[in-house]
Amino acid sequence: MSTKTRGIDFSKLSLKDALDLAILVEEEAEERYVELAHQMEIHRTEEAAAFFRFMAINEKKHGSELSERRKKLFGDAPREVRRTMIFDIEAPDYDEARAQMSPHEALTVAMSSEKKAYEFFVAALPHLSDPEVRSLFEELRQEEIHHQELVAKELAKVPATKDALGDAFEDEPLAL
Amino acid sequence: MGAELPVVFDPKDYKSDLKPIWCPGCGDFGVLQAMYRALASVGRPPHEIAFVSGIGCSSRIPGYTTAYGFNSVHGRALPIAQGIKIANPDLLVLVAGGDGDGFSIGGGHLPHAIRRNLDLTYIVMDNQIYGLTKGQLSPTSPLHLKTVTSPHGAMEAPVNPLLYVLAYGAPFVAQGTPADMAGLAQIIEDAIRYPGFAFVNVQSPCVTFGQDDWQVKQHRAAMKTLESLGHNSTDLLSAMDKARSYGSELYTGILYKNPNPAPTYDAMVRERQQALTTGSPSPARILDGFLQK
Repeated sequence: MSTKTRGIDFSKLSLKDALDLAILVEEEAEERYVELAHQMEIHRTEEAAAFFRFMAINEKKHGSELSERRKKLFGDAPREVRRTMIFDIEAPDYDEARAQMSPHEALTVAMSSEKKAYEFFVAALPHLSDPEVRSLFEELRQEEIHHQELVAKELAKVPATKDALGDAFEDEPLAL
Repeated sequence: MGAELPVVFDPKDYKSDLKPIWCPGCGDFGVLQAMYRALASVGRPPHEIAFVSGIGCSSRIPGYTTAYGFNSVHGRALPIAQGIKIANPDLLVLVAGGDGDGFSIGGGHLPHAIRRNLDLTYIVMDNQIYGLTKGQLSPTSPLHLKTVTSPHGAMEAPVNPLLYVLAYGAPFVAQGTPADMAGLAQIIEDAIRYPGFAFVNVQSPCVTFGQDDWQVKQHRAAMKTLESLGHNSTDLLSAMDKARSYGSELYTGILYKNPNPAPTYDAMVRERQQALTTGSPSPARILDGFLQK
């Protein structure tokens, strides 16, 4: 966990800070998926690009939901947790991307990112002292399990070859 | 009016609209991201930063930031950066490039930049290959490496950049890898904050022409933080001892940090300018003197 955050004392994390942290985690993941989509587009890897764009939309949706919740509880109170304090918690690792990667490989990248986020929340739990923060982290951990299940379902549909994804990600984003 | 709120920068403030065209999986993506974080932590606005590079894949970096950028001539990033710093010492000047740019084509500039000790941060993305030109031997390529210019294996021993800069007297020497982005961001931040020439060697693998068994994934397994080894970064001999393992061990963190920073060249230039102008006649008086003759 120490390599994923900097300057965050989890034992003193308030609910506001925990919500801000969760929002930043989603924002970071959204941005990374957009970056990966762009990398794929300029290397003519359209199907993986489409999937990464789809993931970016999902991360944005999660971030917006958390932001609404934060606003309801804490209004415009200033953020104490910043982007400089978090590192690749749910954002896919850059080194997992490859030019000409198959849809199956793109889904595998998403799966390892969901697992990474799950492991982060699990590792943080013993350090939390605020019961509300603990409950939020437990909820986030559960969500990551749900996301893994959804990605696993998609992975099962896609052959581990360079074949096309078809229309699977052209519709509205799935409720990941 | 109330007190002015302090300006807090976000990594995004340093990210330009230009999208990187590196190969997917390139180590430089992580280095760039760590730089954004480090710059946001340091908190200097983009218009107070100049980013100079040479030529190569990694030298595209200034264009991906919102700072003033100069993607200059192969191997000549350091002389240009020194000129910028002397002309405008208030700028935060960063220099970036690859191992070929820094240790081969621009290799002659490095010792002189170090001995002048300008307040610069030099970040080398060391991928042990010439990637942009499709995989020729570079000065840090390991012995026996097979490349397009060494189909039967390299016959030259590689340069050891860490030992090299320590021997030249660099007051701040560190090494990082994009496998540990938090650690790398911290190293770059410390390098920027150091008052003098700071050198950061980043092992940034080339995913296309680099060694298959020395990619970011392998870095994650192999890296050893100097902090965890109890390394004393103020001990030059200990730093040199660790630096000798370049190519066999991946140590990350600050190898050496001179606890008593010497005056920088840019500060000395400023002092001398002030000393020479104080009490000396104004340019108008000098001109009048000529005209009277």
